[in-house]
Amino acid sequence: MNALILLTQNDPGQIQQIATTFGVDWPHLVAQIISFCIVCFLLHRFAYKPVLQVLAQRRELIAQDVVDREKIKAELEKAEAERRRIMLQADAKATKVIEETHAAAARLLEQEMQKAVSVAEQVIAKAREAALLEHDRMLAELKREIGAMVVEATASITRKMLTSDDQRRMAEETIKSLGRAA
Amino acid sequence: MPATTSQVRRAAKRLYRWCVVNEKVEEGRARAVVERVLTSRRRGYLSVLGEFKRLLTIDSARHTAKIDSAVPLQIDLQTRIKEGLSRVYGDPIHAQFAQNPDLIGGIRIQISSDVYDGTVKSRLQALAASFGIRST
Repeated sequence: MNALILLTQNDPGQIQQIATTFGVDWPHLVAQIISFCIVCFLLHRFAYKPVLQVLAQRRELIAQDVVDREKIKAELEKAEAERRRIMLQADAKATKVIEETHAAAARLLEQEMQKAVSVAEQVIAKAREAALLEHDRMLAELKREIGAMVVEATASITRKMLTSDDQRRMAEETIKSLGRAA
Repeated sequence: MPATTSQVRRAAKRLYRWCVVNEKVEEGRARAVVERVLTSRRRGYLSVLGEFKRLLTIDSARHTAKIDSAVPLQIDLQTRIKEGLSRVYGDPIHAQFAQNPDLIGGIRIQISSDVYDGTVKSRLQALAASFGIRST
C-alpha cells in the first residue's frame, strides 16, 4: 500500500494506467459501491434486524426457561424437603402410634391376664369347694352305709342273743323308769 | 240345736260332762246320749256326735295304756306295770298288752302323749340317727 501511495504521489498517470490495465471503470465502480451500500442498508433494515429480534426473543425465552427451570428445581427441592419433613413427621407419628398401641396392648394383655388369673382362681376355689362338698357327702354316705350295716348287724345279733332273763331285765328297767316318773 | 262350731263344741262338751261319773266316762250314759241325739235328729246332730266322739276318744286315750313288748310279758310284770301306771296317773288305767317282735327286746308303754320306751328297737333307732340314718 505504501508503495502504491508513493507511486501515486510521484506519478498520477501511472495509477490511471494501472487501473486501466486491471479493467477498473470508475463510474461503474462507484455505482457498484452505492448499490452495495443500498443492499447493505436494506439487508440491515429488513433482514438482519428481525432476525436479531427473533434471536433476542429466543435468548430471552431461553433465559426465562432457565429461570423457570431454576424456579421449578427450587420448588422441587422445596417440595422434596417438605415431603421429607412430612414423611419424618408421619414416621414420628406412626412410631408414636405404634408405641401407644404397644402400650395399650400391653395394658390390655395385663388386664386380660389379671382377669384370666381371677377367673382361674375362682374356678379353682369352686372346684375345691365342690371337692370338699363331695368329700363330705361321700363321708356322710359312707357313715350312713356303715351305720346301717352296724345297726342291722346289731339287731340281728341282739335278736339271737337276747334270753328271757334279758327280756325280763329290760322290762323291769322300763317299769323302774315309770316309777321314777311318779 | 247348735249351728256354729262353737255351739257344737259347747253342746258336745255338755253331753260329755254328763257322761263322766267319778272322773270316768260311764259307758251306759254315753250310749244313752248317742241314742238320744240320733232319735232327736235336730239340726247339727251329726256334728255334735262327731265332737262327742272326739272327746270320748281323748278320754279313752287318757285312760288307756298301750304296752308293747317283744315277747309275752309274765303276769307279775303286767301287774307291776298296771300298779306303776296307777301311781303315776292316778285314775284306773286300762292296759292293753300286745306283742311286737319288731321291738327285738324290752317294752314300750304309751299313754296319751307320754311314752316310756325301753326297747332295743328305739336304742337302735337312736344309734342309726347318730349315723345320720333317718329310719331303720
